[in-house]
Amino acid sequence: MPMLAATTPSLRHFPGMGGLLSLLVLTCLASLLVGAGPVSPRDAITVLVGGGSEEARFTVTALRLPRTLIGLVVGVSLGVSGALLQAITRNPLAEPGLLGVTAGSAFAVAVMLVLGASAATLRVPVAQLGALGGCLCVMNVVRLRGVGSDPVRLVLAGAALSSLLAALTSLILLMDQRAADEIRFWVVGSLSGRRLADLIPVIPSLLVAGLLTVTMARPLASLALGERVAKGLGHHPGLVRLSIILIVALLVGGATAIAGPVAFVGLVVPFAARAIAGPDIRRTLWFCLPLGPLMVLVADIVARIVVAPSELPLGVLTALCGAPVLVAVVRARRLPML
Amino acid sequence: MSWIAVGGEKNKVGHVPISENLSDVQRSGVFAPPGHWRLGWYWAGRRREASILIDRRAFLANVGLGVALILTSLIYLCTGTVAIAPASTLRALFSEAEPTVAFVVNDLRLPRMLAAWLTGAAFAVAGCLMQTLARNRLATPGIIGIDNGATAFAVASVVGLGVSLAPPAMALTGAATATALTFGLAGGGGTRGYRFIVAGIGVGAVFGAATQLLMARVAIDVANAAYPWTVGTLNARPTGTMTVLAIGLGIGVVLSLRLSRALSTMRFSEAIAQGLGISLRRSRLQALSLAVSLTALAVAVAGPVGMVGLIGPEIARHLSSPRGVPVIGSALAGALVMTVSDGVGRLLLSPIELPVGIVTAIVGGPYLLWILLRQGGSGNV
Repeated sequence: MPMLAATTPSLRHFPGMGGLLSLLVLTCLASLLVGAGPVSPRDAITVLVGGGSEEARFTVTALRLPRTLIGLVVGVSLGVSGALLQAITRNPLAEPGLLGVTAGSAFAVAVMLVLGASAATLRVPVAQLGALGGCLCVMNVVRLRGVGSDPVRLVLAGAALSSLLAALTSLILLMDQRAADEIRFWVVGSLSGRRLADLIPVIPSLLVAGLLTVTMARPLASLALGERVAKGLGHHPGLVRLSIILIVALLVGGATAIAGPVAFVGLVVPFAARAIAGPDIRRTLWFCLPLGPLMVLVADIVARIVVAPSELPLGVLTALCGAPVLVAVVRARRLPML
Repeated sequence: MSWIAVGGEKNKVGHVPISENLSDVQRSGVFAPPGHWRLGWYWAGRRREASILIDRRAFLANVGLGVALILTSLIYLCTGTVAIAPASTLRALFSEAEPTVAFVVNDLRLPRMLAAWLTGAAFAVAGCLMQTLARNRLATPGIIGIDNGATAFAVASVVGLGVSLAPPAMALTGAATATALTFGLAGGGGTRGYRFIVAGIGVGAVFGAATQLLMARVAIDVANAAYPWTVGTLNARPTGTMTVLAIGLGIGVVLSLRLSRALSTMRFSEAIAQGLGISLRRSRLQALSLAVSLTALAVAVAGPVGMVGLIGPEIARHLSSPRGVPVIGSALAGALVMTVSDGVGRLLLSPIELPVGIVTAIVGGPYLLWILLRQGGSGNV
């Protein structure tokens, strides 16, 4: 397939990719072995090779394994959606969490719960709809003259939108005790206490998003050269943008439906991926695939062990390592325009 | 602030005298500039005199805000879970009333109303100073992370992480830390526009995360008690913080008024301000430390209600003249906004009480967006 061949990393990037993948495998293992509970890494290893006590077996297979898988999915979704959003807004600070996309889907879920629906299967499409609303807001803002061309102002607008939506969400939670009980642990953004069953309804939309991404990678890369060039190469910029928005909504909504709002992953991961892979969005996307889960899983492992026996919300950790990156990007003498 | 002082005989004067008191003008040859009142007085047999200029529009705006504040506060005292007639509220305030009414008004609602006044005024004056300093109306303490820094440290002292310092002191430390970080990371100087603000957002995010981290470490009942305070509420005022805030606000407003002349010059370019004899470094440092202290003291009482720091000065600026830095107006408008928001938060969903921070966020968020997204709006003060 020529299209895929064009998007694979070149030989030059092979060592980096290999290193990242092996690091990811190690992190997954660590995620299975380490935890806040009493099951020690040694017990976990015995479980993995086929032995172990009942309790250790339960902890590893029913708690840590789903958690690791969910971390993988959430990391991939958030990392890739960050890279895509940055590519179409041409803004290195565009990030689903910062721009209010995540807050939009959290708000949509809160509204859904207040209106009386509580089916877990409904949560994914509703979250995705909310994310779509957030995305459309962002894209309309980018269109505005003066705001769209200023990366920093876009972030400010996003921060304002997020804080507004967050306030509305907490208003809803205050009003409706039932909804509050149902999503209190979800709304902080964490991987703990999620079951494998939560992951199932997200899979189909993720597959759709993945396929769309593969078909859109090349038009998106040509869009980076400017709208006219992209048109000249036979692509439809409007169509590309629309499908990217759709992909971002599917990915962010899916990730938020499982893990709750987690910010800054979509900022840090593409930042690192660009540093390794260079400016081509296709290579950046490839590198986001291992980097996203890597960040989420490492943050999750740290969240488990820092305050053991209790746990930290994942969002705290990602904010702690994401905010310095935000400052670093802004501090750069010349804000890089994508 | 600009005086037109012309000494000597009347025929040397090129300006039309607009002062109210013509004989006074003729005597001293000092006129009030357009849109001002000149209040002069003399003593020692008319040999010595002094006068002050009052910006007419700012003065009227402040009077209007003050009247609005008093009326709103009266409504605030009358309403609640138990409605009390205005007449008996006034009686409870100024003379004898039945014990229950007196208790509800004087012991429950009055302290809370005073807290709303003081915190609102402190947040708004701090916001006004920061906005003028950074020459950007978005650069309020709440947005650039000072609130979050103060909250993180104050939460640390409230939930008792082996730190016995009082909340105001801790909040001050936190606010100063956050400010130093923001300024350091943005590469100094408050005049670098949006870059400085985004550095502040980053710093604020880190401190917000730190607050959550602290909350996650302590027992659930302690965390639950501290929670409403982390979103901003007037319900959980730690003991002793009010007195500190009242004293700090008094000093802070006086100092801000002294500083406002230098600040209103600093709204021009740096070169002009320096040419007019303003020591930029000193004035900036003074304004910044004032803003930080006021924010920290207010956060120690009410938690982060940062939006008041954006809305209050904005109202004051719209109402009063564009010439000066509206310190008093901001204080009054901030107190008004805070009182209204807290009243709405108490009444809207009663018996559930909405934290005032949520009310101001819901009102202030769209306004902030509007400022940002207006076509061509540069956000400059």
